[in-house]
Amino acid sequence: MEFKLEAHRIVSISLGKIYNSRVQRGGIKLHKNLLVSLVLRSARQVYLSDPCPGLYLAGPAGIPAPPPQQLGEPAAGPPAGWGEPPPPAAGASWADTEPQPEGSAVSEAPRVGDAVPEATVTGVGVVPQGGAADAAKAAWSRVEGPRQAAAGEAEGPAGGWGVFPLGSRASRRPCGCPLGGEDSSGTPAATPRAACCCAPRPAEDEPPAPPAVCPRKRGAAGVGGGPTSFPAPGSTPLKKPRRNLEQPPSGGEDDDTEEMDTGNVANLISIFGSSFSGLLRKSPGGGREEEEGEKSGPEAAEPGQICCDKPVLRDMNPWSTAIVAF
Amino acid sequence: RLAEAANAGPVGGVERDASVRGDSPSASTHTPPRARAPRLSPGALPRAPGSTPCDQRPGILAPRPPSAPGAAPRAPHPRSGRSLLGAPPRPPARAGSRARRRRRRSGRRARPPAAARRTPVAVAACGAAHGPAAGLASPRAPAPRPPPRARAHAPLLFCQLTAPPPRPAAPAADQGSWCLCQLNGAADLEVSEADIISTVEFNHTGELLATGDKGGRVVIFQREPESKNAPHSQGEYDVYSTFQSHEPEFDYLKSLEIEEKINKIKWLPQQNAAHSLLSTNDKTIKLWKITERDKRPEGYNLKDEEGKLKDLSTVTSLQVPVLKPMDLMVEVSPRRIFANGHTYHINSISVNSDCETYMSADDLRINLWHLAITDRSFNIVDIKPANMEDLTEVITASEFHPHHCNLFVYSSSKGSLRLCDMRAAALCDKHSKLFEEPEDPSNRSFFSEIISSVSDVKFSHSGRYMLTRDYLTVKVWDLNMEARPIETYQVHDYLRSKLCSLYENDCIFDKFECAWNGSDSVIMTGAYNNFFRMFDRNTKRDVTLEASRESSKPRAVLKPRRVCVGGKRRRDDISVDSLDFTKKILHTAWHPAENIIAIAATNNLYIFQDKVNSEMH
Repeated sequence: MEFKLEAHRIVSISLGKIYNSRVQRGGIKLHKNLLVSLVLRSARQVYLSDPCPGLYLAGPAGIPAPPPQQLGEPAAGPPAGWGEPPPPAAGASWADTEPQPEGSAVSEAPRVGDAVPEATVTGVGVVPQGGAADAAKAAWSRVEGPRQAAAGEAEGPAGGWGVFPLGSRASRRPCGCPLGGEDSSGTPAATPRAACCCAPRPAEDEPPAPPAVCPRKRGAAGVGGGPTSFPAPGSTPLKKPRRNLEQPPSGGEDDDTEEMDTGNVANLISIFGSSFSGLLRKSPGGGREEEEGEKSGPEAAEPGQICCDKPVLRDMNPWSTAIVAF
Repeated sequence: RLAEAANAGPVGGVERDASVRGDSPSASTHTPPRARAPRLSPGALPRAPGSTPCDQRPGILAPRPPSAPGAAPRAPHPRSGRSLLGAPPRPPARAGSRARRRRRRSGRRARPPAAARRTPVAVAACGAAHGPAAGLASPRAPAPRPPPRARAHAPLLFCQLTAPPPRPAAPAADQGSWCLCQLNGAADLEVSEADIISTVEFNHTGELLATGDKGGRVVIFQREPESKNAPHSQGEYDVYSTFQSHEPEFDYLKSLEIEEKINKIKWLPQQNAAHSLLSTNDKTIKLWKITERDKRPEGYNLKDEEGKLKDLSTVTSLQVPVLKPMDLMVEVSPRRIFANGHTYHINSISVNSDCETYMSADDLRINLWHLAITDRSFNIVDIKPANMEDLTEVITASEFHPHHCNLFVYSSSKGSLRLCDMRAAALCDKHSKLFEEPEDPSNRSFFSEIISSVSDVKFSHSGRYMLTRDYLTVKVWDLNMEARPIETYQVHDYLRSKLCSLYENDCIFDKFECAWNGSDSVIMTGAYNNFFRMFDRNTKRDVTLEASRESSKPRAVLKPRRVCVGGKRRRDDISVDSLDFTKKILHTAWHPAENIIAIAATNNLYIFQDKVNSEMH
């Protein structure tokens, strides 16, 4: 478990670095970002490979029960990007717990708030599918959410991190699919989940993605703090394999407003994710799917993705230029 | 003395200790060029336009102070330190250093100064002579290191492939006895980012030392010639010239700012009275020519001394203008600007031994340039994948072989070295030799890839070995063995357990440089807490020294430091947790012939000398 926590933390930090590199003087440094993405990949592998016991820990702080309830509501609403199954509070709690210790209080605060909404969002995606699936997903989202918050480096802008929440909302579905988890389940709602989504979660139904698998997913990347900005690119790949257990910590407020942001963020993630897909491809097969999912997010290559990523895809263009510049 | 120097007064107002020096105190008349130093108001970025001589392109004049009467033909160099910043005034740390550095080496090996000075020059000539012919000459590499004193006058062209054998009668100073020669830089706690030194390089003779900083400035120090009065004293390095090499630019297409930080400086072998160097930032390489002017024509018929046209009615006779001596002026002018050659950030440049070409390497490509042609370059290595998503490694450093103008090596972020032969193909994507050490699986961690990324690669002077630096180790590779390095030295293995924290604070991305000594027997590299380490390859001993004001008293031998990693802790040990990771020594340089090292510690330049073993062995 410690490995997972560690991996999660590292993922968060990495995503924050990639995000911050965008605003650094002198332009994006290819070498450093390459190394960071390598770390991301390693951490993701560890995270995914480690059997995760208690994904749905009942975290002390973190996401309260609401998410589950919200599941129902938002369903229609925000594109549960991440399709993280807005798990019942319990599930979320795990996510919450995890990130909390890591700490960035800043991000956490918003996160928690967001988390709920996120969960909702996720739930959205999830909702369509089915309660169980949704729950599972939500749980994941939640988990990730708080994680993201914790990742803390990010602060709000970690938007990238925020992405997570976003992710959960929309873009990311990562978990579901990837590894295996549930591919089919692809949360429908996860539409915006552009980035990492594990690709295939075609949204619609998400069978209760093996909770075990789910939680892992997104969390790490998430840190992102709030809805805003762009999720760290790295997150994208990560997301895929993992299920976004955590509901993006962003929580409530993010919900609708974040949706829009998320979409952008998801795009960004997917964009960056695709930039590093080469690295991801080299990871074990599971990763591969995810990556593809991620990239395809924008490219809508995978059928499952397409459904959820359509909104994301629409927003791709502005980001494609960013990628080119990168 | 250092303290005194530090308090010595305003910028440039170096108060020489005339009594010790025996010179007439001319400090009062000394106008340090610093007063007109290029921009350098503290932290002034961007520079105020018109405030620096750099605006006067193409040339930058750094007038030298008037020489004291009776002094050597060459006027004393400006004495202020690297205090290019207008204010706060940097302590002219070298005030009195001349007196302090009266190195009385009585009782030591009485080395005839003439020989000592001759050998470095001869070495340079030797190198130059071999440059163009390197491709045709026999594979034996000339021995660039000056032979031991006893053989100072031996023919310089004997070749050897390995480092010369250790001196037989060398004193048992395995760790050397390094003393602080001089210290340039402000002692302020608040260091403006523009003053952080980003590269240090000796020229081929060791007479000049160039430093570049993050603000795009280059400062050149020149070693004073040993005076006849004290034949055993070694000259100190005085500021010779300062100029603004690069300015911040903006790439409008990509909406990116291009930093003016000088990434690398490389000297060209001297071919005439002028010195030339290449300096580069992330995107543009510039060739600077440094010339001295100590005469000017006087006696024009149509113009008077100030250059105004004379009233023809006052011209009664004609005269031939004659050259009169003047205050020595150092002029620096950009001779070539090699721009738009790189898409990614340039990380290294290397001048070929043929003295006509050089290469510049960025993250994914290496270009070959001709020193005289700026609008064209040849791409000789391109590792950019067709799909950027497949990118897995980048180029981190590259260097030409010191003697074979067709060979060069480049290192990658995966820890491998590739030796390429330009005779094989125009595009050297396919390496001739791949030097890679299999990874130790027991040390695998999240950060294994980062710490295996090579940050610097240097050929030995003999040309047979390569030195690489990754995050925790330095390795010596033999060109003839690709499977693994022949020597591996742990620089700061105690950081292995702290990689995660170092990753968080970005220290794990620091790129340390490494250096050979002139005889390829000792290697040096920097670490944290202003520590730097030297490894003697022959005796297998190593030493950790610190470059700090507090621990560097003039004339005092540096005390070796130790980092304790638990267990028994000695009195002066530093624990790993109390290391200051903001004080890092990334850039070091070793004099090509003598035991003089230049250490860049953030914004300060330390020059240490091993007076006991002044010659290499």
